[in-house]
Amino acid sequence: MRYSSSLSRLSKLSTMAALLLSASAIAEPLSGARSAMLEPCHAKGLSDRMLCGRINQPVSTDNDGSDQGSIGIHFAVLPAIKPVYPNEAVLAFAGGPGQSAFDVAASFAHSLRYARETRDIVLVDQRGTGRSGLLQCDAMDLVTQFALDESSIDMSELIRSEMKACQQQLQVDLQHYTTQAAASDFEAVRLALGYQKLHLYGGSYGTRMAQEYMRQYPQAVLSATLDGVVAFQQSFAAMGLASDASLAALYRDCEASPACSKTFPEASQQLQQLITQLEQAPIHTVVRHPRTFERIELTLTRSKLQQALRFGLYSNSTRALIPLAVEKASQGDYSALVGLMLAQDMVTDLSIGVNTAVVCVEDWPFWTEENRAYYSDSYLGREWMAAVDSICPIWQLTPAAADFLQPLSTEIPVLLLSGALDPVTPPEGAELAMTRMRHAKHLIAPEATHIVASQSRCAPKLISQFIAEQSVEALDGSCLEQPLRQSFLTNANGIAMPTAPASIQHQNQE
Amino acid sequence: MIALIRTLLRKELLDASRDKRSVMAGLYYAIGTPVLMCLLFAVLLQQLSSNDELYIRIDNVDAGPALVQYLANRDILHGDESKARAIRLSLADNFEQQMQQGRPATVILDADHSDDRLLSSIRRIERALGHYNSEVAQLRLMARGIDPALMQPVDVQIHDQATPDSRGGMFLGIATLTIILTLFYAAMNLAIDTSAGERERNSLTLLLSQPLLSWQLVVAKVLAITSFSMLGLVVILVVSKFAYGLVPWEQLGFTIRLNADFMLFTLLIGMPLALLSASLQVLVSFMAKSFKEAQTYVTMVLFIPLTLSMVTTYNIASDYVQWLPIAAQQQAMIEYLKGSALPLPQLLVSTLLTLLLFVLFSYGSSRLLKSEKVVFGL
Repeated sequence: MRYSSSLSRLSKLSTMAALLLSASAIAEPLSGARSAMLEPCHAKGLSDRMLCGRINQPVSTDNDGSDQGSIGIHFAVLPAIKPVYPNEAVLAFAGGPGQSAFDVAASFAHSLRYARETRDIVLVDQRGTGRSGLLQCDAMDLVTQFALDESSIDMSELIRSEMKACQQQLQVDLQHYTTQAAASDFEAVRLALGYQKLHLYGGSYGTRMAQEYMRQYPQAVLSATLDGVVAFQQSFAAMGLASDASLAALYRDCEASPACSKTFPEASQQLQQLITQLEQAPIHTVVRHPRTFERIELTLTRSKLQQALRFGLYSNSTRALIPLAVEKASQGDYSALVGLMLAQDMVTDLSIGVNTAVVCVEDWPFWTEENRAYYSDSYLGREWMAAVDSICPIWQLTPAAADFLQPLSTEIPVLLLSGALDPVTPPEGAELAMTRMRHAKHLIAPEATHIVASQSRCAPKLISQFIAEQSVEALDGSCLEQPLRQSFLTNANGIAMPTAPASIQHQNQE
Repeated sequence: MIALIRTLLRKELLDASRDKRSVMAGLYYAIGTPVLMCLLFAVLLQQLSSNDELYIRIDNVDAGPALVQYLANRDILHGDESKARAIRLSLADNFEQQMQQGRPATVILDADHSDDRLLSSIRRIERALGHYNSEVAQLRLMARGIDPALMQPVDVQIHDQATPDSRGGMFLGIATLTIILTLFYAAMNLAIDTSAGERERNSLTLLLSQPLLSWQLVVAKVLAITSFSMLGLVVILVVSKFAYGLVPWEQLGFTIRLNADFMLFTLLIGMPLALLSASLQVLVSFMAKSFKEAQTYVTMVLFIPLTLSMVTTYNIASDYVQWLPIAAQQQAMIEYLKGSALPLPQLLVSTLLTLLLFVLFSYGSSRLLKSEKVVFGL
């Protein structure tokens, strides 16, 4: 309920005391404690004023009576412009696992801008992320990272020792930081704010969190939009294959594009050659530090190349750079590749604790020989599984019950959105997730990558329409077919000229 | 004495309510204005908001297909003469050439910036071009292995303290202006009728020949008029609440909500103004020689509250004006709607001033009624 109206009313109340009008303000019940716990706040990149608060939740969610203290769950409310539905809100779940919803408030505000016209947006930092007791360990700095030779050292040993140091530093029982454990925090925030019903919006891993919330608290949910869907049945290891498929699509696009195929006629062979070369021996070279401009060492390994490509595939803008970066790298110029490696910066704010808890409790225990072999087809999948195999035994966590892998069975209307070019959560994930959703619709944006709502101009409108109608029947996804791909860079400045260069040169000389 | 005034008041109210046409005429303002404003706002909002597809003329599309597609993704599209707004975007012939050489490529944004209807569209195109600029620049830096964040030495984070209720700006001013003016327009007919009209019907002399004091008569008249203008205020508040609720303000990122608290607040601070309005208009009507003359004078006098309200609406009131009746009350209404602190000292002083003026004007009227020239309209 009305934390916004009650708060503004409260401020008026104090100023109005002199005018003896307070009697009218008391007409609506108002919990002083609830209003008092909200205070104005701002998130990065979003000028709009939000209202932030914190509730204490027990760390241990199972009823064994053990008292392990409490954890402060931080939440923020982006008030509706015109609160037509004060008893409803849109609850947005961030990705990761381990991302803070508050940190990406600007992105949610953009994707949900039409929904916000009439309903509040609520952002809760999942336990262990952001302002809800972030479980973070020191990450390797860029210079060390660039110089590291993953091929010559025992990577699993390095990961193990780093993880043990992290374990010492955090001193927490990660068992309480899983998807299943976190759901009750979201429910507690809903109750504290007094909303009767919620509309959910989840992006990436946030879709799994949203599905788990629906599983545990179906009565609280009116609708759910899942954008970049992670199905319960599917392991995170599938992202290796997804990334490969997305990269293959990119090279097909390059071949189909006259400018790209003309400039990089051997594009995909070049990439294969570079990978083969790095497989045999890494390249030791010196590059400029992307920020300090100092000369630093770069040991280019297959791992670094594939990770750079993987993160480059996330956005249409960096995708445009990939063929150029690969060609330059195979010619011995690594600047553009360093540029792509920068895209990895986005993972630095992830909660390593939550990420580990989710993977080691809800994913790793369920790997079979069969799907291990399947996911191993991809280099990234192999590399990731090897890392997880080193990490999880350290924490000694109890696996989730096997029925966690069951797809969500629900009557709640669900809108699933996928980008056909998504390198992590391709449309197949949504198809798996919706098998037992009885009122669901899956819309695919053919040229979108990860998270459709942040790219397509029409997706935010569709989400708002879906929330208003609480039905997928009338949704028309044809507007998602808008072109989103960008022209490939053919040199460091832009794209090649589509028209005959000679004539323009001539004109220029005049 | 109280009984006498009550009898007089009952007579005045009965008199007034018999003339249903003139009462209704006063209320038409209260009903009609919010509805009219609501339509006006809806039209205005359509011009101000720029969410939908925007068609403009784009010349030389072939010179920079990537830019044209980028704009199209933001729903800025090339349209033919009939559809397109009077904005022309021309790409230089050597656009792509310059791009590729890393030199600035020229686009010309050609429009009349004095045309207010185009401004939001122009801003939107400028924003889109700005984003394109930074996106291409970022890619260029990444292609050279440089962190694009270097282009932003200072990360300016804007923390806006406004709320959806407080962003209404001028719209809040206009809404409160129409509400406060009701107190004057709803009273007008009645004020003239009960003074100049009564004199013209020759019933004023009859009244004055009764054993009562002239100030008692004036107070009864003023109270009767006040009750009708307060009725007008109630009507316009209720009508406004529903009418403004229908306007899609949220498309511009703000809302105007007239809740019950606000209505009570307005009725409270409006009461002294209603007394002022009634006593002022009665005084002016008595000063006039005839009914028609009274109508002219009252209309002219009403420019004063209108002016005071206007300067508040457009936020051009000087510090002194903010202490004056009407201006201070309207400012308080605006601040209340915004949910910010009320200008209490101003409100208090102006309320006292308002009541003082009411006493002065009433006294003036009762003095006038002692003069035969006034009573017989000589």
